[in-house]
Amino acid sequence: MAKAKRLPRLLLVDDEERILSALRRSLRREGYEIRTARSVPEALAVLDSEEIDLILSDHMMPGMTGLELLAEAKRRQPGAARLLISGWSQAVAESELEALGIRCLIAKPWEDAALKQQLREALAWSAAGTEARHTFGSRAR
Amino acid sequence: MDWNSQSSRIVVLRDAADGRRSEALEILSGRGGGAVIDLVSDLASCRARCASVAVDLLVLESGLRPIAGEPIEALAAIGPPLVVLLREADAAGALEVTRRGASDCVQVGIDAEGRLPLVVQEQARHGQRDRAHEAAERRIVELEDYTENIIQHMNSALVVVNAEGAITQANATAEEVLGAAAGSLLGGLVDDWFDPEGGEPSLIARTLDEGVSWKGEETVVRRSDGALVPVGISCAPMTNREGQRSGAVAVFQDLTEVKQLELQVLQSEKMASIGKLAAGVAHEINNPTGFIHANLHQMNEYLTDLRGVWKLTAELSSTVTRGDFAAAQSVAGELEALSRELDIDFVYSDFAKAVQESREGSERIRHIVQDLRDFSYRDSGERVDADINECVDSTASIVWTMMKHSVVLEKEYGELPEICCYPMQLKQVFMNLLVNAYQSIEARAKETEPGTIWVRTRIAEGGVEIEIEDTGEGISPENLGRIFDPFFTTKEVGVGTGLGLSTSYSIVERHAGQISVTSEVGRGTCFRVWLPERAPAPEPADG
Repeated sequence: MAKAKRLPRLLLVDDEERILSALRRSLRREGYEIRTARSVPEALAVLDSEEIDLILSDHMMPGMTGLELLAEAKRRQPGAARLLISGWSQAVAESELEALGIRCLIAKPWEDAALKQQLREALAWSAAGTEARHTFGSRAR
Repeated sequence: MDWNSQSSRIVVLRDAADGRRSEALEILSGRGGGAVIDLVSDLASCRARCASVAVDLLVLESGLRPIAGEPIEALAAIGPPLVVLLREADAAGALEVTRRGASDCVQVGIDAEGRLPLVVQEQARHGQRDRAHEAAERRIVELEDYTENIIQHMNSALVVVNAEGAITQANATAEEVLGAAAGSLLGGLVDDWFDPEGGEPSLIARTLDEGVSWKGEETVVRRSDGALVPVGISCAPMTNREGQRSGAVAVFQDLTEVKQLELQVLQSEKMASIGKLAAGVAHEINNPTGFIHANLHQMNEYLTDLRGVWKLTAELSSTVTRGDFAAAQSVAGELEALSRELDIDFVYSDFAKAVQESREGSERIRHIVQDLRDFSYRDSGERVDADINECVDSTASIVWTMMKHSVVLEKEYGELPEICCYPMQLKQVFMNLLVNAYQSIEARAKETEPGTIWVRTRIAEGGVEIEIEDTGEGISPENLGRIFDPFFTTKEVGVGTGLGLSTSYSIVERHAGQISVTSEVGRGTCFRVWLPERAPAPEPADG
């Protein structure tokens, strides 16, 4: 079944507005549709309202951590790639990331080119995953 | 008093060659009683006897003839009184006897029977009295040596002053502390050292004037090399037999090293608190660094875009100057297409926005670093007038970086007078209390509600009160009494030094203030610090 081809949709979450602004700035010409959220509830509202291909979330946020948000995101949209970004050194154990299927932990400050590369790879992975699920789904029918 | 009953010791010296019985022995022992009489026949034995036991009297039986070649002056010089028995044949009279050093004499055959015991009794008594006197004198000298030894070798400095404030005694330690040459303190005025500026009367001067005592007070002395030295001093008035004040005695210690150690503890405790903050601060710096870094990268790309537009603009200008209208039209078309492709209006406006946001970010980093640097400064060692609200607020703003994700900070600052204090030390107290409050909120069972810390300041009873209250886990009643003890901690090894609150306590004490705590498990804890507006003068030790 042919699906309307759309731009990959990214959800960026950070309680720091300037970070979102800088991320949006550097991804402007990457060809993404970008959504932003400044808190966990805002992010969950976006997840409930539309399909997201990749979530890039800050870790330390008031109320809930980025890790907790990504765990919730895994339940609500398992197909979306999950990435964590943090300025808090050694805040998250490797095993926790693996358990949640989080592709990588990006440290602030980040390298622009490396970030773009990581996003592209993560999207390729999630697209492949989606493809696989669709294939599997059609065969089951 | 019968001399015999006192068991006097008498040495009788006789010429052994004489061969006759000892008349003195006969006469004296005939009296019965407790005198111990030794018979010796030469000067050497006599000396040996006198050296080994306390001899009250020497009796010489052989008149004034030299004994074994030695004159009787040698005998008299031994020490005990000497009584000489003269024979009829002896030409010399009593005068000659005493001239040659003896104390008395008796004439054998004339008055020896009756007088010898009396003379012996009297001389023995003299001898005993002399010996007692000598012993007392020796004892006094010994005691003087003993006390002098203690005074000179005690680890504390000691000075004694008379009613006029002149130094009458000072030990070696006092000379060392004051940097004075040996013996040079005596006779000088104590206030030259203890009150070099001539300001407030020194503690010693007040002891002399008012008769008050001091115990373990801190004051400053000026050494002979001009350096000010902190000392701990105890001082008490001295009174004479009539009950009048005759001076004062002061004992003091150089506190320089103690002060340095104290500072080191303070500084290392502060560094430990800063260590706890480091992770939070790193996060706080990494955020702005993150977007500044990304923005710089993007601005570089914008610059490339703008350079492309600028190149075409320059080309356009040159075609117009040349008057090549066709070329100008084509370049203008290119320019328009490129501008549309790059969305150049957006590039312009977003460039400005990126500059503005980055500038804000760098300003934020500058602030954090400034706060941290301020916090790591030491006090100069002098009290200064400081705004407590500013102290509390700047400290809260550093700690805030680490707690802002889980804590709501409520500030309620009252208007306060300036307080004469050590501001860096007080900031450390506030830091300890705030970090404790934060850790106690973090330690609660996981809750969705953020914790709250209230920081309140107000005027209270001649000073100011600072209150730091949290909604953390609280402190159990059995721990509440121990929280100010050094090294008491309920935190994991490596998390708390156990010195934070005890350091806070001693800092507040140094300011003559008070620190108190109320707490309820599960509800939270409230610390109150009260500081007097002016540190009071020291209080005398006696009531």
